[in-house]
Amino acid sequence: MVTQQDSPYNWGMVVDIDRCTGCQACVLACQVENNVPLNTENLYKQQRIYSWIRIERYWEGDFPDVKARFIPILCQQCGNAPCEPVCPVYATYHNNEGMNVQIYNRCVGTRYCANGCPYHVRFFNYWEPVWPESLRNQLNPDVTVRSRGVMEKCSFCVHRIRRAERKARGEDRLVMDGEIQSACSQACPTDALVFGNLNDLTSRVSKMSKDDRHYKLLDDKLGTDPNVVYLARVEEKVEEGAAAAHG
Amino acid sequence: MSTAQTDPPPAKSGTPTWVKVLVPVIATGGLAVTGVVVAILVFVLTAWLNLPLPVFGFDEPPEQPIAFPHTVHAGTDVLMDINGNPRIAPDNSQLTGLGLDCTFCHRTVTTSGTAGVPPVQLCSFCHRVVGSEDRAGLAQLRDITFLEPFVDAINWQRVHRLPDSVRFVHDPHIRFLSNHPAAIGNNDAVTGLASVNPSQVCSTCHGSVATMEKVKQVEPLKMGQCVNCHRDNNAPVDCSTCHF
Repeated sequence: MVTQQDSPYNWGMVVDIDRCTGCQACVLACQVENNVPLNTENLYKQQRIYSWIRIERYWEGDFPDVKARFIPILCQQCGNAPCEPVCPVYATYHNNEGMNVQIYNRCVGTRYCANGCPYHVRFFNYWEPVWPESLRNQLNPDVTVRSRGVMEKCSFCVHRIRRAERKARGEDRLVMDGEIQSACSQACPTDALVFGNLNDLTSRVSKMSKDDRHYKLLDDKLGTDPNVVYLARVEEKVEEGAAAAHG
Repeated sequence: MSTAQTDPPPAKSGTPTWVKVLVPVIATGGLAVTGVVVAILVFVLTAWLNLPLPVFGFDEPPEQPIAFPHTVHAGTDVLMDINGNPRIAPDNSQLTGLGLDCTFCHRTVTTSGTAGVPPVQLCSFCHRVVGSEDRAGLAQLRDITFLEPFVDAINWQRVHRLPDSVRFVHDPHIRFLSNHPAAIGNNDAVTGLASVNPSQVCSTCHGSVATMEKVKQVEPLKMGQCVNCHRDNNAPVDCSTCHF
């Protein structure tokens, strides 16, 4: 196993549902940033699309009083992840920075982790990914292009984290709050996604994650202890226990 | 009846002729197949564990589009001509290498992920004046860059190639090794230096490029080598340090 050293970082994200308009900018940004293959009509029909972050849409109420509800779902980077213990080759594990890491070159493609994941955020490469010739030069050189037969998922934009950490180490300091933005949080027009260091008590994510509206997806039922914190939607008529109903 | 019992039919005894022919054929074939398989295995294993065996030119450095000699530019030794005689300058002194710093041409190595190969303009910066009198290639280079301001990049063949799943970034390595000369055996106890020049740490992984006429890979650059050095120097050994 990997030797775990103490780290000053515990990367996490806060998703403010109240700010999310369901515009899908994060979905597109993620697709472009992380060399995620294009989702063709054929892939939709086979239910094998790749979407490291997706917007789930719910309808609430009946016709004239109908409300659309959006919730962005990405890898929750669980502290107690159901995907990790099932991997026979340790291709997915928890690192000392609070991230659930997927090591592509170690993965043998058993797909146990995808079966174990309650959030459905792991995607298997059933085919070699192909891009149209016009898009070949837009691939991100900092991110591995996953080949056929390996699992992939949201990496919390680990290449951006590593770049910032290298820069910080060179300047002999810690990564500052706001220095790293994941591709999705950078693209979000309403600032609904906030990325940062949960270990730093003064960081924006730490403060926001202590908000009264906070909850963690499926955590009370499954105990997965995610590093992604959701802030419940503020309703016009505030009901008792509205936040709990989302969890 | 009794005579038939004492004389069993002789044709039934012994191995048939076709078996006698086939057995040595199969045995020789089997030996040959085993030999070939063992040879392939030995080759693959040695290539996997270290560098390729020096047979059939597998360890030959790649052919470059221009015969760029690092010995002339980065080396400091006496230069030899093709016949092995020392090259003599017009004033009858022996020519030595220029001893340029690695970072003179590979300019981005201390600031970014890739070392960077200089544009042709950097070559012609010197070679418009230097060395083009007696070298046809350099005169051609001078003429091309003089006439066309936007020349196509030279298609250099890559010598040190890591697998696609590895993200190696030069600048933190150079920074660390320059600030910790003892980590790579550049004995700071002797020199008394707290830090060394970036070019003095390149040879840790690239070998002594300054003495190579054609650059070739001399270190295996396998993951074990990376991890050992990371462990020794208290660098992170988390998988996602390099694989993402």
